[in-house]
Amino acid sequence: MRETGGAGSLIELAERIVGLGRQMGADEVEAAVSDGREFSVDVRFGNVENLVEAGSRYLSFRIIKDKKTAHATSSDLQDETLERLVRNAVDRAALGSRDECAGLPPLSPDRIDIASLRLYDPRVAELQASQKIRLAKETERIALEDKRITNSHGASFITNEVTAVLASSNGFVGSYDQTFCSLSVGLQAGETDEKVEDYWVSVDRFVQNLEPPETVAKKAVERTVRQLHPRKVRTQTVPVIFEPGMTDWLVGFLFSCISAVAVYQKTTFLAGRLGERIGNEKITVIDDGLMPGRLGSRPFDSEGVPCRKTIVFENGVLRQFLCSTYAGRKLGLPPTGNSDGGSVGPNNFYLQPGTSTPQEIIASTERGLILTRTIGHGLNPVTGDVSRGAFGLWVEGGEIAFPVSEVTIAGNLEQILGQVAMVGNDLDFRAPVCGPTIKIAAMTVAGE
Amino acid sequence: MITFEDHFGMADAERKRALELALSSGGDFAEVYCEYRTYSFINMEEDIIKETAESVSLGLGIRVIAGERTGYGYTNDLSSESIGKTALTAAAIAASKRSASLRDFREARQLEDRYPLAQPAHQASLQKKIELVRRAYLACQKVDPKIKKVKVLFQDSAQFISIVNSEGRAAVDARPQVKLVCTAVAEKEKRREFGFSGGGGRVGLEYFERILSPEQVGREAAEEALLLLEAVEAPAGEMPVILAPGHAGVFVHEAVGHLLEADFIRKKTSIFWDKLGKKVGSPLLSIYDDPTRPSFRGSYNIDDEGAAPAKTLLIDRGVVHSFLQDRLSSRLMGRPLTGHGRRQDYTCIPIPRMSNTYVDRGQDDPGDILRSVAKGIYAEKFEGGQVEDSGKFTFSISAGYLVEEGRLTAPIKQATLIGTNIDILQKIDRVGSDLSFGLQTGTCGKEGQEVPVTDGCPTIRISRMTVGGQS
Repeated sequence: MRETGGAGSLIELAERIVGLGRQMGADEVEAAVSDGREFSVDVRFGNVENLVEAGSRYLSFRIIKDKKTAHATSSDLQDETLERLVRNAVDRAALGSRDECAGLPPLSPDRIDIASLRLYDPRVAELQASQKIRLAKETERIALEDKRITNSHGASFITNEVTAVLASSNGFVGSYDQTFCSLSVGLQAGETDEKVEDYWVSVDRFVQNLEPPETVAKKAVERTVRQLHPRKVRTQTVPVIFEPGMTDWLVGFLFSCISAVAVYQKTTFLAGRLGERIGNEKITVIDDGLMPGRLGSRPFDSEGVPCRKTIVFENGVLRQFLCSTYAGRKLGLPPTGNSDGGSVGPNNFYLQPGTSTPQEIIASTERGLILTRTIGHGLNPVTGDVSRGAFGLWVEGGEIAFPVSEVTIAGNLEQILGQVAMVGNDLDFRAPVCGPTIKIAAMTVAGE
Repeated sequence: MITFEDHFGMADAERKRALELALSSGGDFAEVYCEYRTYSFINMEEDIIKETAESVSLGLGIRVIAGERTGYGYTNDLSSESIGKTALTAAAIAASKRSASLRDFREARQLEDRYPLAQPAHQASLQKKIELVRRAYLACQKVDPKIKKVKVLFQDSAQFISIVNSEGRAAVDARPQVKLVCTAVAEKEKRREFGFSGGGGRVGLEYFERILSPEQVGREAAEEALLLLEAVEAPAGEMPVILAPGHAGVFVHEAVGHLLEADFIRKKTSIFWDKLGKKVGSPLLSIYDDPTRPSFRGSYNIDDEGAAPAKTLLIDRGVVHSFLQDRLSSRLMGRPLTGHGRRQDYTCIPIPRMSNTYVDRGQDDPGDILRSVAKGIYAEKFEGGQVEDSGKFTFSISAGYLVEEGRLTAPIKQATLIGTNIDILQKIDRVGSDLSFGLQTGTCGKEGQEVPVTDGCPTIRISRMTVGGQS
């Protein structure tokens, strides 16, 4: 385990809470401390607009007494506050209801080698503010060189360093450090009443893996200007191609439907359907917390359960729900290392890539919509229904014909997964929940 | 009224010292924002009180403005060393010779308390709150055997803020917030549907006896889920849309409110940036944002910069009348403050935000509006929306009806509506006399900051809008 400057005193704090809770009568106690440093700079038209720098430390804990659970969090870490919060939690638990599934997981004998996960880049801390400002300015400057760009939302460089510590009365003690950095720019093109906008962001744990300013700027410009002079289309049912960023939200919606919490609460259409074929054979979806350097990797979840690789959908068949200890007990399933502070969260949750290039997918489409952006809500896990405001590029004869705006796409996740016609080879793990380009054989596009 | 509790113990001299450090590299303005917030939470599902939680947040943020530049630092370590370091972090932005001179603090007088309440939730016993939760839960469950899952959440918070700035303004506020929400899942022949209801605001627990009973919250959630079991697919394409009074306020929040926030105007990213005094919508349309409505979820006595809030006329009979201002934008634009500088918490820079946004009542009889539509949809309940600066906006309906020959017929499933604001605002051709507000449970997100808001409207007819159903 990495030894860090602050981790020792953080572990001490977490262990002190566990001891305090036990002393006050709790059967089980789990305490987590997060200690973070944040830096962000926003520049716009070459000038620094906002500069934020801060450090903060939070504690969260839960106690279980007689199979009754109480939670607390605090950013006030003074002794008397902490003692009061622990005492209150023990008192509150008595007012709750007995729940046979409540409680901590048993201590796992498995330990993940944290160094091999590559979660921490020391260069993030070493990077000077002036360098970060320069990178943001450079990105925006390059983007603004393109004459089609008429306004800027600004460019940002953000870094985060976080130490996470967990201690439990089952004997678990663990900690890890992680870093994140991002470089982004948001742009507008077109005149006052005909504006279009988009952005691009590069995120990584390692400074050296960030896309350089030229790339971020170029992608943001390209994504923005390709929407200029959009048309509306007639209401129709056509193939819809999801760009990777769009597949990301679809996969994110899928996650909310296979979370064991949603399953036991029956707030997902996939409840009770383990082992059934849901999508077609092209659908293989995996959750993997152990991919070196990836954004969603971590050695253990918020309960100290070691992370792992779980196949959720295998060639269209629903194999596994992702479980916290509690939700797993409700369903008679083992925890999968996906506990996320009382709920269930994804690690690296992705749709397995296929073999087609994005160009091949477009070329295969006689007539259809490439979905490039959506806005709004319109995702209902209970029914699987999807309905969102959409922007995109119209395809005619296998080629991009013109941009489209002000339409909506609608469908049902189960039907969408059953109609995946092609899966791209362009999965790049830019986000912890992600997928490649995919083509859905038919969806309703509502327009004029 | 809840009383202000000083959890910082910072004497005037210490606060002045922090402001001095903040201005030590120059700058036009400095501010210290202290926040202490307590929060409690109860969750009931599967017939049991499953969990309770308590949370304490304590910290301060220091801001320096120099021209158009903002420096910000925050900390939850309240040692004088850490506060000094935070002030210097914020100071680094300025780097100019000129510095504002510090004035002595003058405590801002509070003319009105917008949170008149009898039983502050943060001082009430947990048993009392659990009882409210149980009542909502049982009322929901017993509506119909088809209700298979019920979940009730209760949250309350008390936020104490204290602000001092280099201009000598010192202001405090103590804001209560309460929310009770119920979700229900109904099941029939393998089909499952979801219903939601709730209420609250800057109120005390007496609200649940006098204004909205927990039983009503539970029943409404159940009724929505049961209604949706019978719902047909929403139509797809352009058609007349009637917005129901109250909940449909999300429409004006997205289509108009965000794009009149002064930061987007000043940066010329909003489609409205050059439209002050110009007609952008139907003459039937007037829109206000009012942070002063007593007990409303989005209201406040002072904004998060210590400024007095004002009821602000945004659109006057179709013409852009004013913007939502915070201190920075108001100064840079040379326009009056409106008291709309808000922040999620001490870790955030304040930005212009909405509070309680609504379309003013019109002349039409709501029944006449319904009878005027031969074929369209009636949008009744909403799950939120989104807008981008270009004026393209969406909102999603979670429940509504088909309108056929001037009558509500089949209930419809969820659908997203999309349009461009300057187009859709012109297409508002009927405005009802029946103004009401939506659920007191809403939260608005902007630049990663969430703040409580409400919105409202009377019955409104939009002559044509794109509806994103499946049939």
